[in-house]
Amino acid sequence: MANDAFRALAHPLRRDIVERLSGGVATVGEVSREFDVSKPTISRHLKTLEEARVVTRVIDGRTHRLALRPEALAEASDWIESQRQRWERLFDVVGEYLEERKERG
Amino acid sequence: MIEQSGQMLRIERTFSASAEEVFDAWTSPEVMRRWFRPTPDWGEAPEAEVDLRVGGKVRVVMRRRDGSEVEAQGEYTLIDRPRRLVTTWTFGDDPSNEQLIELFFAESEGATTVLMVNSGISTRDRRDAQDEGWRGCLDELERVFAG
Repeated sequence: MANDAFRALAHPLRRDIVERLSGGVATVGEVSREFDVSKPTISRHLKTLEEARVVTRVIDGRTHRLALRPEALAEASDWIESQRQRWERLFDVVGEYLEERKERG
Repeated sequence: MIEQSGQMLRIERTFSASAEEVFDAWTSPEVMRRWFRPTPDWGEAPEAEVDLRVGGKVRVVMRRRDGSEVEAQGEYTLIDRPRRLVTTWTFGDDPSNEQLIELFFAESEGATTVLMVNSGISTRDRRDAQDEGWRGCLDELERVFAG
């Protein structure tokens, strides 16, 4: 699951879309215009985001509204956090060792 | 990180095992024999000896499938199970080059990350060869934990 989120966030335009949607729901047309990219390009990137369930699409007649699913990003965020903790723990072990070496001279 | 002279290599690896299990894999002769195999050209190590105390000796004989052997030995200078292990290290094919191996272990959520720093290596070529060799050995160690 977290892998899908990372794949979804791997492109700068998709990260821009996520950032835009974190400020509120937008239509496909609005997003397309704001980022000045073609409809097919936006559609392709939206498909990736939707497949990763980072973005959901609500169809209301002819209007397609896009919304962020923050919980999909939470998994990726949790993974990063667990890695950070792992490394911090290792750095603590290394740090204590260096400190002791310094004390011994 | 520590030794001022010579070449240095650094490897990090995360194993699906507790810190105690990973530490013990570095200090148990039976387990060491299974993973001191730098490439698939090497079979199980025929000899491993450990005297796990500061000043105690560690020795491994690695053997290629063609029968040729390389011995490595060292002396423990710091033992802090399961967090840190430091040993001098000298390969039999370059006996004048006493190196240092510093190992740091940190467990998190059932997996253990190891930082290995091997310093004081005589030449760049040896450093590159050892870097590849250790990585191969750690691949084998992963297999040990995989079952």
